[in-house]
Amino acid sequence: MADKVTLRRILRLFAISARMDMVYLLRDTKFALLGILGDLVNNLATVSGVFLIAARFGGIGEMNADEVLFMMAYSTLSVGVFTLFGSGNNIFISRIIGRGQLDHMFTQPLPLGVQLVTGGFAPFTGGGNLLVGTVLTVISVSRLRLAVTPLWLAALIAYQAATLAVTVARSYIVSSLAFYAPAEAEEISSVAINDTWVVGTFPLSGMPKALQIPLLTILPEGLMAWFPALCLLGRPPLGLTGLYPVLFALLLSLTAKRIFKRGLRNYVQKGSSRYLPYGFRR
Amino acid sequence: MSKRVPADISHTASVVSVRGVTKTFLQRRRGNRGILRNLIHPERKTITALDGLSFEVAPGEFVAYAGPNGAGKSTTMKLLAGMLLPNAGELSVLGLSPRKDRIAIMRRLGVLFGNRTELWWDHPVIQSFEWKKVVWDIPEREYQETLDTVTELLGVKDLLKTFARELSLGQRMRADLAMLLLHRPELILLDEPTLGLDVMAKRRMIGFLKKLNAESGTTIIVTSHDMDDLEEMARRILLISGGKAAFDGDFSALRGKLGCVKKAVVLFESGERREVPYQDTNRFLYELSGLSGIADVSFTQTSLEEGLANLYSQNEKNV
Repeated sequence: MADKVTLRRILRLFAISARMDMVYLLRDTKFALLGILGDLVNNLATVSGVFLIAARFGGIGEMNADEVLFMMAYSTLSVGVFTLFGSGNNIFISRIIGRGQLDHMFTQPLPLGVQLVTGGFAPFTGGGNLLVGTVLTVISVSRLRLAVTPLWLAALIAYQAATLAVTVARSYIVSSLAFYAPAEAEEISSVAINDTWVVGTFPLSGMPKALQIPLLTILPEGLMAWFPALCLLGRPPLGLTGLYPVLFALLLSLTAKRIFKRGLRNYVQKGSSRYLPYGFRR
Repeated sequence: MSKRVPADISHTASVVSVRGVTKTFLQRRRGNRGILRNLIHPERKTITALDGLSFEVAPGEFVAYAGPNGAGKSTTMKLLAGMLLPNAGELSVLGLSPRKDRIAIMRRLGVLFGNRTELWWDHPVIQSFEWKKVVWDIPEREYQETLDTVTELLGVKDLLKTFARELSLGQRMRADLAMLLLHRPELILLDEPTLGLDVMAKRRMIGFLKKLNAESGTTIIVTSHDMDDLEEMARRILLISGGKAAFDGDFSALRGKLGCVKKAVVLFESGERREVPYQDTNRFLYELSGLSGIADVSFTQTSLEEGLANLYSQNEKNV
């Protein structure tokens, strides 16, 4: 039993999470499939509403209907990536903190970071949105006749990673409140993440700059789909560089790390008196 | 140039070393009066859970860690498991610092809190065991050997395919204990493992822990409010009260300290009933054998719990 966390060990951790996800799916397939279908319908309803408005009015702002469809595809894809890696409470981290369940994690012989990265991997129950997002992306890319080069694909992956990083960092920043007010802030991560998804699907093209700028900085909903989609279409808005989402994600992640670590130090000093025995586990 | 040594590391041959450990918590006081003032300047009270506590545990010991509610038992367990950090003092577990070497300690330490489960709630028990194998990186052969042994000894073979949420409390505790043992821990911390168990489940749990300690030499520290359970399991009792060690020794010495009296109730053929206190059992039996007309004899003694209740109330008054 080596202490080093090797790539092989990380892959095994992802594999056991995937296996447990499959067992979870198979134990009651009917209800699991209904759950997945519900998620898909919910997400499709959100994005199709925006797309139908774009189709009815010949676009939104400076984006035509196909570009809006591409943005919706990007959004569905990012929700898919999120549910693929964040189906436990590893990203809805305020639940774990608020319920005092970090104690379970302290007793595992793994760094907390490794537990958090690998613990929510759910390719079977969380892969539905990723699949739909991929299909929507293929459709919109073909309608827009975009040239899909390896560089473009690499940019898509980088932007998706940046979007995920912004979502996670934002969740960890607000979830750190649960270190200080565990009962009150137990569900704060779900509020932050769900709001991000809802507001993040609106195309900000045509909106006044006074609205666009705060939505790319203070409340970065614009980075959930709008800004990166326009970057992938070759025209980053507001005269900003296409690297902006990546740089913002990096900055926010470093801020989140600092704030979360500070909260963690508080947790190991004062402990938790709100232990709930099984919420940490699905 | 000297290297800075972390404050909570002490190098010792003991499995557990606690030296002058203090742990305090800030408790916010709430009331209806002065709500606004409380918002700006919240009233806080410092609770001292451990107050300069010191003790050592040698390899292979089975230690009962007892005390009244709020004495600091669970806090000590959490400190040893690296879930909490002390305000002052030195802590060492298996020669390592819980603050700096959490991961290395967790490979060799098993922790179980009676009020919580490490099993995955919505999965069959065997799935939790498989998960543990990967997370603890237990070699396949070692895992299979240990799994066979613990499932046999704890009688959990029939529970392996049952969902954790469908287990009774006794079954869940046995499954949790089996899971705890899969990585063959050298030191086990058990916080109230018999809490809520019925008589049969309790007997089984106690029997297993005694066997584990005797046969594999695993060091065990166990907390419980049930003194009979503790006396049956452990050879040494460490009693804390008010965050300090109130007693450290064996159970007979504790009885002596608490003034627990041994008594014989002698019933004579004439119908007379007499309560006779004694100190030396052999001598008393010898003297008793010289008497005639005895119909029945029963032996009793002041319970540890009675003695402890007196001790705790004295400590409360002193505090």
